[in-house]
Amino acid sequence: MKITRNKAFKVFFTPIWESNPVSGQILGICSALAVTVQLKTAIVMSLALTFVLAFSNLSISLMRNLIPRNIRIIVELTVIATLVIFTDQVLKAFLYDISKQLSIFVGLIITNCIIMGRAETYALGNPPFLSLLDGIGNGLGYSQILITVAIMRELLGAGKLFGFQVIPDAFYAIGYKNMGFMVLAPGAFIAIGLIVWLQKTVSKE
Amino acid sequence: MSNHIRSIIFAAVLSIVCGSLLTLASTGLKEYHLKNIALDKQKNILKSVGLIQEDKELSTNSIEELYTNSIRQMWVNFEGKIVPKQKKDTKDLPVYLHVKNGNIQSYIIPVDSRGLWGRISGYLALKKDGVTVSGFTVYNHSETPGLGGEIEKRWFQKNFAGKKILDDRGNFVSVAIAKGRVADKIPESRQKNFVDGISGASLTGKFLSEGLKQTLIEYETLSERFRKMKRK
Repeated sequence: MKITRNKAFKVFFTPIWESNPVSGQILGICSALAVTVQLKTAIVMSLALTFVLAFSNLSISLMRNLIPRNIRIIVELTVIATLVIFTDQVLKAFLYDISKQLSIFVGLIITNCIIMGRAETYALGNPPFLSLLDGIGNGLGYSQILITVAIMRELLGAGKLFGFQVIPDAFYAIGYKNMGFMVLAPGAFIAIGLIVWLQKTVSKE
Repeated sequence: MSNHIRSIIFAAVLSIVCGSLLTLASTGLKEYHLKNIALDKQKNILKSVGLIQEDKELSTNSIEELYTNSIRQMWVNFEGKIVPKQKKDTKDLPVYLHVKNGNIQSYIIPVDSRGLWGRISGYLALKKDGVTVSGFTVYNHSETPGLGGEIEKRWFQKNFAGKKILDDRGNFVSVAIAKGRVADKIPESRQKNFVDGISGASLTGKFLSEGLKQTLIEYETLSERFRKMKRK
């Protein structure tokens, strides 16, 4: 399989698998534990984070030659916080139930290391288009892990996906039981651990 | 020096831009927020009397329809009498009635209790016997997620159903949150007045117990009326 690997392509796809922010760099674990009990909340969280990451990268990259070096962290935080609060407001207006379930975790995107990390290491030194791609790429990399973990946890922990029963009653009748452990935070640790292991093994080859 | 001035100007401009963007978003979406909050309250009232289940998703219209069909908002005066809005006095307390075929099934009391970090708002529904709790819901709180925040979860709230606000002798004792599991901590004769507590959130439990008691005392004249009606 040969695809032309220009720079933009690389910027976009490397964080999705090779240097995935969660499984490769072990960042953003806190929210990955908290919101992955159900697939629905995980997807909304993924979208929110990808949105914030893409636009924080874009706007910081646009301002990169203007930002005074000595206050750059504060500037980055202000931009990120503005985007996060905006996202939170939109969720409260249009997805009230989900935003209630996500409770403080949307607000905690502000402190998600992935976003600060990308702003600091990438957006400050690269042009806007590439920064936007980097943001979306990293957002998708995070989303991919979050959604995989959520599928594992909801399926094994509750026998459901998107709140619908997928494991048939016949299974329960012959003695199948939901793994209550997967609903708890340690379940997410194990799921993420397995993904990290898989990712490291595959990308070595 | 000029560097400092540049930083300050940049910071000021950025704050103004970000601030006004947020103000715009907040005012622009306010209408939706208020609508959602109102709907959420209706949902919680319906949930407290068991008219809707936690895991069922209902459309906005069906919730509103269910609400208008089965819930009446009334007021309670100082004698414990239920009065409609037109006759209400300023000191009267709000109460919601769950009505089925013209008969009152249960009455729902708004609870506004102190919590550990802020107010806890919810509804406590009592059956028409004036003794049995039909359900309890929380629609707003600022307790710690995972600890006190568990008060909004189904496992905690479902324990309220069937509990009594009177003890064996018929004296008012309110319904309270135990420290730990009711089966382990509370003597059998009083188990019907307690619900399971949340580990790691004793203070939330304590404040909420106090809040529930205070609210129930305020409405005791109404509950007393319901009890008398049943005796007749």
